[in-house]
Amino acid sequence: MQTLIPRTIILIGSLLLGFFSFPQQGKTTVSGVVKDTNDKPIYGATVLVEPLNKGVSTDEQGYFQLSIGTGNGSYTLRVTYLGFDEKRVPIELGQTGESPYNIVLEESSYDLDEVVVSGKSIVNQVKEKAFNVNVIDAKKLHNTTLDLGHALDRTSGIRVRESGGVGSQMNFSLNGFRGKQVRFFIDGIPMDNFGSSFQLNNIPVNLAERVEVYKGVVPIGLGADALGGAVNIITNTYEKSHLDASYSYGSFNTHRSMVNAIYVSKSGFTAQLNAYQNYSDNNYDVTVDVADINTGEYYPDQTVERFHDKYHNETVIANIGVVNKSYADQLLLGVTTGSSYREIQTGARIVSVFGAWHRKGNILMPSLKYIKKDFIANGLDVRLNANYNFGQEKNIDTLHRRYNWFGQYKEYDNPGGERSYSLYEYRNNTGIATASFDYELSQNHKFSLSNTFNTFNRKGEDQLDPDSEIYEQPRKTIKNILGLGYGYEAENWSANIFAKQYFQQNKFSQSYNPSGDYGDIAYRDQTNKFSYLGYGLALTHFFNDDFQIKASFEKSYRMPETEELYGDLVNLQGNIDLKPEQSYNYNLGASYWWHMGTQHHINLNANGFYRDASDFIRPVLNNNQTMQVMDNLGSVTNLGIESEIRYQYREKFSAGVNVTYQNLRNNTKYEGGQTTESVVYRDRIPNMPYLYGNADMSYTFQNVGGTGNLLSIGYNMLYVHAFYLYWPSLGDDKFDIPEQISQDFNITYTWKEDLQFTFECRNIFNKKLYDNFSLQKPGRSFTGKIRYTFF
Amino acid sequence: MIKQSNFYFGLIFLGATTLIGCSSDDDAGNPDDGGENPAAESQYLITATPTASEGVADYILTTDDLTQGSITTEGNGIEQDGTYRYYVTHNNKFFSLLYGQGNPGAVTTYQLNAESNLEKISDFQSETVQAFAPVNDDILMIKISRNAESPYAYWYQLDTETSQFTGEGQINTQELADKENGELAFFSWITQVGDKVYLPYFTVKACCNDTFGTDYPDEANIAVYSYPEMELETVIHDDRTSYIGRYFDNGLSVDENGDAYAFSASVATTNGELTSTKPSAITRIKSGTSEFDQDYLFDIEAASGGAYITDHIYVGNGKAIGILMDEKTSAYSTGNRLAVIDLYNQTLEWVTGMPSPETILNVTKGMDNYVSEDESTVFVGVTTEGGSFIYNIDVAGASATQGLEVEGGQITAINRLDPVE
Repeated sequence: MQTLIPRTIILIGSLLLGFFSFPQQGKTTVSGVVKDTNDKPIYGATVLVEPLNKGVSTDEQGYFQLSIGTGNGSYTLRVTYLGFDEKRVPIELGQTGESPYNIVLEESSYDLDEVVVSGKSIVNQVKEKAFNVNVIDAKKLHNTTLDLGHALDRTSGIRVRESGGVGSQMNFSLNGFRGKQVRFFIDGIPMDNFGSSFQLNNIPVNLAERVEVYKGVVPIGLGADALGGAVNIITNTYEKSHLDASYSYGSFNTHRSMVNAIYVSKSGFTAQLNAYQNYSDNNYDVTVDVADINTGEYYPDQTVERFHDKYHNETVIANIGVVNKSYADQLLLGVTTGSSYREIQTGARIVSVFGAWHRKGNILMPSLKYIKKDFIANGLDVRLNANYNFGQEKNIDTLHRRYNWFGQYKEYDNPGGERSYSLYEYRNNTGIATASFDYELSQNHKFSLSNTFNTFNRKGEDQLDPDSEIYEQPRKTIKNILGLGYGYEAENWSANIFAKQYFQQNKFSQSYNPSGDYGDIAYRDQTNKFSYLGYGLALTHFFNDDFQIKASFEKSYRMPETEELYGDLVNLQGNIDLKPEQSYNYNLGASYWWHMGTQHHINLNANGFYRDASDFIRPVLNNNQTMQVMDNLGSVTNLGIESEIRYQYREKFSAGVNVTYQNLRNNTKYEGGQTTESVVYRDRIPNMPYLYGNADMSYTFQNVGGTGNLLSIGYNMLYVHAFYLYWPSLGDDKFDIPEQISQDFNITYTWKEDLQFTFECRNIFNKKLYDNFSLQKPGRSFTGKIRYTFF
Repeated sequence: MIKQSNFYFGLIFLGATTLIGCSSDDDAGNPDDGGENPAAESQYLITATPTASEGVADYILTTDDLTQGSITTEGNGIEQDGTYRYYVTHNNKFFSLLYGQGNPGAVTTYQLNAESNLEKISDFQSETVQAFAPVNDDILMIKISRNAESPYAYWYQLDTETSQFTGEGQINTQELADKENGELAFFSWITQVGDKVYLPYFTVKACCNDTFGTDYPDEANIAVYSYPEMELETVIHDDRTSYIGRYFDNGLSVDENGDAYAFSASVATTNGELTSTKPSAITRIKSGTSEFDQDYLFDIEAASGGAYITDHIYVGNGKAIGILMDEKTSAYSTGNRLAVIDLYNQTLEWVTGMPSPETILNVTKGMDNYVSEDESTVFVGVTTEGGSFIYNIDVAGASATQGLEVEGGQITAINRLDPVE
């Protein structure tokens, strides 16, 4: 009995995915209301007309409306909802003016709790695709004070590394891939051009419904040059009107607040407003050797407070448009606007300390989004997106001072900066347009075509050096990624094959000496072009409802980023000669669901992966060794495994552990023209965590202080095995980054489903945590959060 | 050494990672079991940087013999923080300076203890500098601007006894260069000549997409400062050669008579192209004078059959080892041919027994090689396609023999310390 339910739901789910359709004019319609035995409307029930396989979900009033086409005759309405018995209602179609059906569902004999656990949500449906994907159900984290970066950090295979506290520079690593090898998307739109005001670690988790993490092979629909994986943040589904607001306050004078409002009218008009703000002084303690400002002598192991690390950002995302219309499932015009301010406390290493250098950025990004299922032809789904960022970045380093960690400084009376005298201000003028088409020829055959087009045209100036820019023009890039895929779905297996065409063109200027006489200078425009073809395959097979395996392969590329080509003119020098990276990725994974009785459920997941990558784009120092510059260096292989086990008892208790081990090895046998084997050939890549994991537990007490009120307590532990800063095989007196264990605790009280109080303590035991070249992260912190859902 | 995981966390993770075979081959070799080396001997310090795509600072290796055998960075040597480091030995102390991309960094000081083991004495913080050299009992360091908007060089006097800075000051390099187009003086290096400090410089635009380019590629200048006051006394000028020394490279050596010999590679650039029209040559400033000796010009290109001198090692008694290259391609490439140069007789003799130039990938910077105490042998680090070796150059015979092999790294410097009492 038990196993039948998931099967039914999978079936319905997959049918819905393929055949979801909306009322069309001039056709027979059937409508009605679905309620429970207490006469309360059921929101989200599935109504299917058999054998037409047309389906729709009920709205908040339990109302549904469905156009049938022209087919007259006898049909069956099949109505299902989790936790309720299925209901079949025979209907006759043919005459106009159908009277609405009133359908009453009865609660099934199972407890709702249990059904929820074994039933497959959208989260699970995505997980069951052939791609190796992790889905984070962000709604479960909405009562925490996490940002998206830290929410991802709790996922197997992922390490988010930061240079400090709130708003600090973030470095993302996914199964050994890092930096720009992993691409980020919001609702399927590449986040490449969002600027510093809109980063994963300053977006609250409440903005997301769920987050899909693709490891290795990335579906065609996310049309970008993701070499090692992709993270897709799904925000709103525009199902119903909603308003909630939250505010939190915590250690280091950290304030965060967020308002999320969505209005959806019956006519399909929708308006959405997301506004959020982060503010932190980040004045946590660090232990450093403090240098005397005059003599250079070090006072070792001083505990000092960070004094120049304030960060704040404010962002508003507004969308207006229509949903569920005959011509558009979603047609939205929007604008993202915001600003950020960041003080820079340290350089790449903690020894270099600053006291005045800061950066500002803003974002002003209009966007257009269009989604339509059954566009022109039945089974043809289309998605179009476009946005353009007018945002600006500014680097302010105009005080000629030298600080130490006590906050003391020496000041020089001539012009200069702490790092490099600069008031550089620029706009990247980036634009993105994406289009994707999915066509379902029949239930078994699906075709996808997607195209992503990026533009970049940097314009900037430095008030302190107004002439410098004219020599740099032009700096323009266009990038286009075209993907074509085919998917085959059988009852218990599915396969996808795909190919991607990568294209990039860079226009820039180079100085040269036209006459050969000294002092003569001229600039000529140069153009670089790349064009590559990648391809891949993904397979999955269900042995039964509870056991699935997945396998995939891809040859992929990642094109050089515009900042890597043209520099940020602050710390990164451009390298116009960068070539794309390439990688062969292999993945093999298995999932198993195990049910003990009706109350205990266990899910086991294990994925093995192998990467063979070359022409890695890595930072090195430039000729004069004042800035970093990206270069194509070496090749690496990575053989690893990540696994996760999760246990759930009714809706009360849940616990999980995930672990990732990756064997990232240097595969460059001969360095720099040498014929002898490199001393670090096959050595482990240094300064990368290679064994890490998370454990979490939560328990929910029901009906605390009143019926329906919940009290839940949660615990999370992060573990990172020690690793070496430099090559493991070299030297006998070495630097390492020690083992790290951080434990977090939170408690949430939910009152009448709409008011939540959360108290959270991170890093309970105040352990020293390090990241990015042993920069220190915050110690113990406390945060309180209040969240109210208006409707 | 890496600490083992706590047992119970280990258990939790073991439970979850049903399939993980976790190899632990990363724990590098055993730590030194403490030297049992009763006879205190001098040691050579060899710094070697692994040639690998993940940039890493040099490892410090110690040995008492440069003439034979091999030494490796694998599981051996002191690891240093940072990516690039530079060295200077003065008053029997070895200073390792971090080149911190314009940011301050730690300078680590080592000495050899009575057991002949390398011992870290102290750390202190220093600016990232582009020139540093012993002057009296100090190390003089200069941070030099390459930005026309802030045309100042900053100098710092480090007392080697206390490892602390005792003085500092600044030099307006635009005023010093005194060029119509506002170019800055960029000091190639620092040389103590008598009781003065000589700072040879080249001029740079420091702007406009041609930071290290110049419109004055055919002149040599040396600024002369008093010490320790660091007051400008004069600028010595010459039009017969291009500038003295190169970026981060010494081009001025003093012989036993107090005469200074100035080496010009003639590699000034304009918009990325080499524009010096003067030959690579050696000139002289006689002791007690403050002008180039117009009677002395050793045209290296003529003497070598067209090669130019990128760097040199002064040996003694008017002899030097020149590092030369046949074809000029950039202002930064290091030579791959060695020659014994007689500064007094103006002769040049190619060193035999060296690997053929096309197989040489790197020769250790001139001032970072080591001249034996009796001035008969020069130890030069050479990296070829086949590995890194210390070549022993017999100065009298102008011949080289392959000595110590340094496995797993390019030799960045060879120094020597005596044990302290």
